[in-house]
Amino acid sequence: MIQSAEVKDRIREYVLEEFAKTKGIDQITDQEVLTKNGIIDSMGIFRLVAFLEETFNVRIGDEEITHDNLESVDAIERLVLAKSKK
Amino acid sequence: MAYVLQQLLSKSAKAYPDKPAVWARGKSITYRELDERSNQLAHLLHQRGVRKGDRVGLFFPKSVESIISMLGVLKAGGVYVPLDPQAPADRVGYIIGNCGIRILITKSEKRAELSADVQGLLEACVLVEGEGNGSDLIEWSRLAEFPASHAPQVTMIETDLAYILYTSGSTGRPKGVMLTHQNALTFVEWCAEEFQVRSEDRLSNHAPLHFDLSVFDVYNTLEAGATVYLITEDLALFPTSLANFIDTQKITIWYSVPSALMLLLLHGRLTVEKLKSLRVILFAGEVFPMKYLRQLAEVSQQSALYNLYGPTETNVCTYYKVERERLASMDKLPIGIACANTETFSVTPEGRLAEKGEAGELYVRGPAVTYGYWADSEKTHKMVVPNHFQENFEEKMYRTGDIVTVGEDGNYYFQGRRDSMIKSRGYRIELGEIETALLNHPGVREAVVLAVPDEIIGNRIRAVVAPHVAGSLGVLELQQFCASRVPKYMIPELVDLYDELPKTSTGKIDRVKLASEPVGAGRS
Repeated sequence: MIQSAEVKDRIREYVLEEFAKTKGIDQITDQEVLTKNGIIDSMGIFRLVAFLEETFNVRIGDEEITHDNLESVDAIERLVLAKSKK
Repeated sequence: MAYVLQQLLSKSAKAYPDKPAVWARGKSITYRELDERSNQLAHLLHQRGVRKGDRVGLFFPKSVESIISMLGVLKAGGVYVPLDPQAPADRVGYIIGNCGIRILITKSEKRAELSADVQGLLEACVLVEGEGNGSDLIEWSRLAEFPASHAPQVTMIETDLAYILYTSGSTGRPKGVMLTHQNALTFVEWCAEEFQVRSEDRLSNHAPLHFDLSVFDVYNTLEAGATVYLITEDLALFPTSLANFIDTQKITIWYSVPSALMLLLLHGRLTVEKLKSLRVILFAGEVFPMKYLRQLAEVSQQSALYNLYGPTETNVCTYYKVERERLASMDKLPIGIACANTETFSVTPEGRLAEKGEAGELYVRGPAVTYGYWADSEKTHKMVVPNHFQENFEEKMYRTGDIVTVGEDGNYYFQGRRDSMIKSRGYRIELGEIETALLNHPGVREAVVLAVPDEIIGNRIRAVVAPHVAGSLGVLELQQFCASRVPKYMIPELVDLYDELPKTSTGKIDRVKLASEPVGAGRS
């Protein structure tokens, strides 16, 4: 079973390294809305989903790729934990 | 007949006062409210010194207030300048200085991003969100103090400027394309006729407001007394949500860049059922790969599909209505024929009209064509040139820089660019602007920016950089440096570091060789 803290750390690190930093944003909070300031764009969403599927060995369907599920580090963690319990 | 854009609103506000005009994030306003709020904003702006021709910036995320602001500025006689809410402060600051914006409509959070120098250029900010101090920070709620029933008296004619849209500039700074009421109305009137926009229609607005695709969404809605649904980022990025939105809001007319439609096709779980209300689908801004267009045609059997073409300087100048029966055999989508009240011709490098099948640059003349670029007569003279095909009086035409051929079917076909401008997600990008940004980095000796073709988004951006001192620069550092100077869609996604860039025999950087080398081929 993956530990919650570890999941969150890996998501935060990925979002920060892959999206935020290249756009000049050095830190993000776990509640920050990632789509609001263009941290993640439309192609980025699918790179993020591919990362989650690979890293946490979960399958995320197109219908689960929604704002509610992916809007922040907190939301992404909830999605991953809910999926990995199944 | 309307000769200034705000007359489209007055007409519909009289005919359909209680109909929703604009919808965003679950909230909508009626035509009466849009008319009244924009009258009030016009009075407020007038009181703050906005006079005919003055530029007013709009710097906040897309919302109902965006449309009120556009109309309010026009009613005050002003010229609105939509600023990309996601652009770096440095670029927004440049535009504010470049076109002399003294009043900015914004929100506290966005205003705080601007440097003290730029804030110093502003006499006042109208805040759609956030707290004001009454003198130079004016809260939105203050609109209530102004007359709602009429706009201030301003004499305006169709050749007055309505808005300025900034696009990427090859010399390192964005350039402001000036558009008049007549420029916009020429296009709006053609669309109203061609697409038969009616008051029952429900239009989507996918493009950002600083992008000229939005001109159709907003003003053809007002022209017809229809309703426009603004697609905000919480919807735009999520294909299944967007597909459900089209279904539940019963959108009848859609307009976007092809890449947005391709993401819907790939991940939106589109079905014929979900798209049943769509009667017109318009796309523009980039090439639509035939493979995806065929898929779109399959799930939207009741929709008319149109490929629209035209740079911001002409809005749309040619169009092609997709002939479904030709789709299976077609290998390239035409950009079609000239719109009404617009003349286009293809000119060879020798300056004569191109023959059928022969490549030429597409030129455009007519009332849709821009005056040129704000405060940049040099660039204007390069692109808006005398029409040398008639010698008896002076007239201008616009050089698009796009190379086209005329096919056997009489349609224009896009072949490529004359210069190094590229498209990514429909955005115009001058590679030179990114090169200039990179060269401003003190550690960069040489930099070349190349386009890497991508099936979905058109092009990805790759930078090849040689530092002054080998090993002294990191990829992330360069991306961050660009992030403070260019919009997010222009930040190089791929960066290769070389000790030295390859040269041609004349000592120039060998772009052709670099483009042919695999990504990541740098030696350092």
